[in-house]
Amino acid sequence: MLFENVRTAFVALLENRLRSLLTLLGVVIGVFAVTSTVSLGEIATAGITGEIQAFGSQTLFVQVLFDEPGAEPFTDDDVEALSRLPIAILLQQTAGATGVVGEERVSLRLVGTVADAPEIDRSIELARGRYFSPDDAARAASVIVLSADAAEELFPNDDDPVGEDILVEVRGGRVLYTVIGVKEPVGGALGTFANDVSGDLPLETLYRDVPGIRQGEYDFLPISIDLDRDASIVEQQVTSILDRRRPPDTYAVQTIEGALSLFNTITVILQALLGGIGAISLLVGGIGILNIMLVSVTERTREIGLRKALGATPQTILQQFLIEAVFLTVLGGAVGVALSIASLWGIVQVVPFLDVFVINPVVVAMAFLVSVATGVIFGVWPARRAAALSPIEALRYE
Amino acid sequence: MNDASHANHAPNAMTGDAPTPGQAAASRPVIEAHDLRKVYTLGAGMEVHALRGLDLRVMPGEYAAIMGPSGSGKSTLLQILGCLDTPTSGSYQLSGEEVADLDEERLSQVRNRRIGFVFQAYNLLGRASALENVALPLMYRGVNARARRDAARNALDRVGLADRMGHRPNELSGGQKQRVAIARALATEPDILLADEPTGNLDSKTGQEILGLFDALHAEGRTILMVTHEEDVAEHTERIIRIRDGVVEASESVTQRRRPTLMPGGAEG
Repeated sequence: MLFENVRTAFVALLENRLRSLLTLLGVVIGVFAVTSTVSLGEIATAGITGEIQAFGSQTLFVQVLFDEPGAEPFTDDDVEALSRLPIAILLQQTAGATGVVGEERVSLRLVGTVADAPEIDRSIELARGRYFSPDDAARAASVIVLSADAAEELFPNDDDPVGEDILVEVRGGRVLYTVIGVKEPVGGALGTFANDVSGDLPLETLYRDVPGIRQGEYDFLPISIDLDRDASIVEQQVTSILDRRRPPDTYAVQTIEGALSLFNTITVILQALLGGIGAISLLVGGIGILNIMLVSVTERTREIGLRKALGATPQTILQQFLIEAVFLTVLGGAVGVALSIASLWGIVQVVPFLDVFVINPVVVAMAFLVSVATGVIFGVWPARRAAALSPIEALRYE
Repeated sequence: MNDASHANHAPNAMTGDAPTPGQAAASRPVIEAHDLRKVYTLGAGMEVHALRGLDLRVMPGEYAAIMGPSGSGKSTLLQILGCLDTPTSGSYQLSGEEVADLDEERLSQVRNRRIGFVFQAYNLLGRASALENVALPLMYRGVNARARRDAARNALDRVGLADRMGHRPNELSGGQKQRVAIARALATEPDILLADEPTGNLDSKTGQEILGLFDALHAEGRTILMVTHEEDVAEHTERIIRIRDGVVEASESVTQRRRPTLMPGGAEG
């Protein structure tokens, strides 16, 4: 009888192609929407988290809070005091400038720093040319290492600007720098969101060419912690050293996670939003299933009456309807999950900063279960009611 | 009071689930109903008494018509006799078995094995072929697919639709649909064939052909009970049971019979 009922169920599904298809569609949409939206949020988070882990779990930022009374820039003495710790401090001074190449005029941030910056900030990688050397620094050479964005904007038609000269206008002066290197684009989510038009040059060159920058004073110190050290302990040590040298509230120590908390917040909001949309889609899909099932009740009640009149037991009828509903919803769920995986995989391939493909099995299971449950409950419940009627009542059902 | 004593058929052991019509016997009635009552409760507490203590006995091999004005309870009676509905009270024995004692499962078996019901509106599955429609009750009996198909073919052949087996109901005329419905009722070899206004939706010529088919089935020894409100339809049978206000008013033998000369399967619309 089970085999016969499976056959009957499939015949009934084929006989009612439109209804079967619409029910199927409801489940597919529900499962697809929930799985895709929630997973997309998780993929975005994973992309950003991976970025943080690759780049900055061992990085601190110490920043002067100039709004606080008694705030002073960090000095070479501060740097000297901190250098007892297992850290490398990236000395930096920046100045806003304008870069001019032929007709192109581009706002350019000049970053004066040390020659071993690429060893301290591991995110610095060169696409072309070289970084400036200690020798360049010692003689305050007029050289500049452009960021990828700066190279793109200043030399839109030149793939290799190494060796070209840039006229830089800074605080009323004009200087000519030779491009010696171009950095790789900043990878990952940060690079995608941030437009970094800057050029690195020796601190000595910056001091010489930019009036008003005081030597040996820093507003901002990126600190790279040795990889084998516990970042939180080093953070405490940095704080305790600086607290002895200046009022405690006049500076801030931030981890990169802290600096990126905005991104995290955005991601959480994004995930909540997508999850909400997913839940609504599931609801809509569920209502679609419910609607189709209820609309077909009249027709099917008569069918049930007839089958009962011909000798079908209520169990047989329920079994038939259960097989129909389970088959439709499980098939729809599977199609929805497959579609979702395929499109998410496609998105991960296409969008540059999403490089981790994640599908949350809990979300998949939940979407699947809710859809299947909706289909089964609203497919079988009316059948159950109809099967409990006497055949003549079911046949008379309008 | 309405004893129908038509004992003109061979005895029947009454043991098998599906006695062969030809050997139907007289010792026990197929239908024995006593003091049947059916009350429908409408909205606002209104009650309609469709049957008010009806007694009826039908012997094997009988061919009878149930007549009565609309609202007399004749359709309700047939539905109860067909186990499609249950009486509010009273006793109904089908082939010696008290129907009120049966559970859902057993009741389904009774509908499947003992009763062949022909509806006025045919009630065929719209998207199934004639053959599939006729085979459906056999499926619920657990007959295997091949035997089902053979039995359904025979039944369709019997009603003259051998050449329409693969057609769907919407490809058949009204008369052909009713023939499919009769074939479906016959396929299970039931104890009794119940027909609710079987010609009610048909024109008179097609109706006559359907009646000819019932006459021929009766001639084979089948027990047939038919509800109608047309006197000339009723006169095809041997007995007319007249119902009024939920009780049997009269039971008359039909003397002037028009023996059927039509062979089933004659061409029609």
